[in-house]
Amino acid sequence: MTFAVYLPAALSLLLVAVSRAAARHTSPAAVTRGLALAAAGTAIAYAACLSFLALTLLDDLPPLAAFDHLPGLPRPVPGPIALAAAGLLGWSAWRLLRDLRIRRDTHRRLRSVGSPDAGGLVVADWAAPHAVAVPGRPGHVLITTGLLRTLDGRERAVVLAHEQAHLRHGHHRFTAVAAAAAAVNPLLAPLRDAVAHHAERWADEEAASQVGDRGLVARCVAKAALAATPVLGLGGASVVGRVRALRSPAPDGRWTRLAGPAAIVAMIAAVTATAAVEFAAVASAWLHAV
Amino acid sequence: MALTAGAGRRPHGSLEAEILATLAAATEPMSAADVQRALPHDLAYNTVQTILIRLLEKDAVQRRPRGRGHVYWVRHAEAAEAARRMRATLAGRPDRAAVLQQFAAGLDDADAEMLRALLAEPPEAT
Repeated sequence: MTFAVYLPAALSLLLVAVSRAAARHTSPAAVTRGLALAAAGTAIAYAACLSFLALTLLDDLPPLAAFDHLPGLPRPVPGPIALAAAGLLGWSAWRLLRDLRIRRDTHRRLRSVGSPDAGGLVVADWAAPHAVAVPGRPGHVLITTGLLRTLDGRERAVVLAHEQAHLRHGHHRFTAVAAAAAAVNPLLAPLRDAVAHHAERWADEEAASQVGDRGLVARCVAKAALAATPVLGLGGASVVGRVRALRSPAPDGRWTRLAGPAAIVAMIAAVTATAAVEFAAVASAWLHAV
Repeated sequence: MALTAGAGRRPHGSLEAEILATLAAATEPMSAADVQRALPHDLAYNTVQTILIRLLEKDAVQRRPRGRGHVYWVRHAEAAEAARRMRATLAGRPDRAAVLQQFAAGLDDADAEMLRALLAEPPEAT
């Protein structure tokens, strides 16, 4: 096996770098969809290549081990590399299962917080300012009195429109796909955060087109964030980015700006196919030996 | 059914949600006229009244007579129970909060400062 099998991991880093540049000035709907798809494809390629490497361990098992002395039997990769790949693959599986479990558990708990009989809204009498889109069939919006009391009538309409946009477009699917991809391939974590950020941007722009005022949405996002308990973390940078974007000209919807990330995903697909062909050659040599 | 939102277009049920949100934001029970004044739209009094009755029928709000009409408020027991469950799910559980689409996260001091500075600037020309 040649270097092709190692390339998807390396190209993940390139994808992250190129996506950052491509996401600027592109419509958030296109970025959310495009990057979630790119992350999913890259994670599958990464897992496939780790599997090829890990499966070469099979030559240490009987009956192949018995043929180790034979000339012409392929020794595709050094044993420690195959072992490391198997370890990484196990770690990916563990992270993926944990992510899926936390996501399902959280959504299930939030669905049972209250029954959304009226207008798909559940109100919680809690001073902490929270508004959450809870996916389901149908989904509903969960909002605290703490946030409602911070906002005026127009701003409340913005928050409701924003959360309803999340539900209408099924944003939780894109963020879940990107998070699962990052669980499998940790190098994709920045892509997961970018998809989450652009899903918020998408909902912001939808809310803005509904209330017809992007500045109002910017002020509303800022007000809600400033009212929340100060925390250390990545959330703050995302809020600042959303407010800045809403106060700049609206992005256009051209998908062509995503050509860079798309080209890298195509390269990842090509090298993975190469690695698969090489692995198939190794496997067939083994089968002939046995 | 796909609803594409355009300016001034409201998805189905969003007036109910807005009126419920208005009542939940208030500290005192509100009459239909109070609700009408608190809403950002020019809604007819009768529309507000109709939606309040619908919310009442769905057990989302309670009312009592005042003057010639009624005053309405969000059912407190349900909102308190919802808060208890929501807090139990999220408080102190950053791994759960991280999987959610939250409207706005908290900020650290530097980001809060940057946000205030950003709001003080005039917006970029569109």
